[in-house]
Amino acid sequence: MRTRVLAPTLAVAFALAASAMLFAQDRVGGARAEVPSGPAPAKDLTGVWMMRNPPGKNGPWTNYTYTDPMKNPPSLTAWGEEEFKKARDSNGGNYTLDQTNDPVLTKCYPPGVPRIYFHPYPFEVVQTPKQTLLIYEYDHWLRRVFTDGRKLPSDPDQLWMGTSVGRWVDDHNFQVETVGFNEKTWLDRLGHVHSDQLKVTENFRRLDAGHLEVDIKMEDPKALAKPWVTTFYYENRPQWELGEISCSGDYLDWSQVEKGGKEYKR
Amino acid sequence: MKRKLVFVLGIIAVLVLAAGPVLAHHGGAAFDQSKVEMLTGTVTQMDFVNPHVVVWFDVKNADGTTTNWSGWLTAPNKLQRAGWDKHTLNPGDKVTVTGNQQKNGSPVLQIRTIAGPDGNNLPTFEQ
Repeated sequence: MRTRVLAPTLAVAFALAASAMLFAQDRVGGARAEVPSGPAPAKDLTGVWMMRNPPGKNGPWTNYTYTDPMKNPPSLTAWGEEEFKKARDSNGGNYTLDQTNDPVLTKCYPPGVPRIYFHPYPFEVVQTPKQTLLIYEYDHWLRRVFTDGRKLPSDPDQLWMGTSVGRWVDDHNFQVETVGFNEKTWLDRLGHVHSDQLKVTENFRRLDAGHLEVDIKMEDPKALAKPWVTTFYYENRPQWELGEISCSGDYLDWSQVEKGGKEYKR
Repeated sequence: MKRKLVFVLGIIAVLVLAAGPVLAHHGGAAFDQSKVEMLTGTVTQMDFVNPHVVVWFDVKNADGTTTNWSGWLTAPNKLQRAGWDKHTLNPGDKVTVTGNQQKNGSPVLQIRTIAGPDGNNLPTFEQ
């Protein structure tokens, strides 16, 4: 089994290395966005934010999972380990769209929290007196973070994206706690699972006018033997506006395009 | 075993990031990553649509026949932020495309680079 999976995977890795060396220089990016400078405003996260690697660091696994799989893998319970073995992920490049059981790619299920951050699109923060709105470009997802002083529900409904409450810890740290998830989503793009006991704590730290860090802690006594923590890094993009990316039929039908299906042609 | 697999996937992720964010949300397992094709052809259609922009182009084969290829890029909103719009490529435009072909032999490419009529590579990712 190991050879069956690892051999083709290694072949893909070497092939990508070769093609990366050959063609990385030819790839052209769009105009580099200007990142605002200056001190962090107080109690203010508003704006459009795009995930980037932090300066001088490369966290490639951050496009797939939360921590370096070899140096700092998640500590799973026996149940979490068994469920993880069933995952056939596509984003890692190991399974085609016809083979994967990724709930986002096969069913357009909402990605859940914090997997929503792995979609390579920006998100926008809008603050109102009683709610902070987290608007994700991917599939127009909106999370309402209640800031009216309410407590987390003790017996929450099971939702795709949970129920969130937030508070400012100080002028630059906004803490969001989220509970009440169903068990239909993956924690990451590799297929680590969670249960309905998942609790996610996000700390949004405004470093300065142009930069934001988000500390994420996942706690789930059924799936995780101990909390799984990571930090994501974002840059402000005042020139950008969120557009439309919908997990619609076209998204699911992409397997037809992947196979060369001409019926997709319009 | 799963952790080994995850490690290897991590290596792949490094390489994918080094190569550029082509494999944004749909994976690349269906495409032959061991080989990069280079094709020159004429655009017949561009779909500037969700979830990926698709460029259709005719390529003349050695035997005189023509094959209509499709090549897919990242999402339209990401390309928009890189400077594209739905008129960036039009029918009749000459393009030179590099990319990885569908493993099943279909004329489908996961585009790595695409040069427009002026011969310059167009941006394929936002910054």
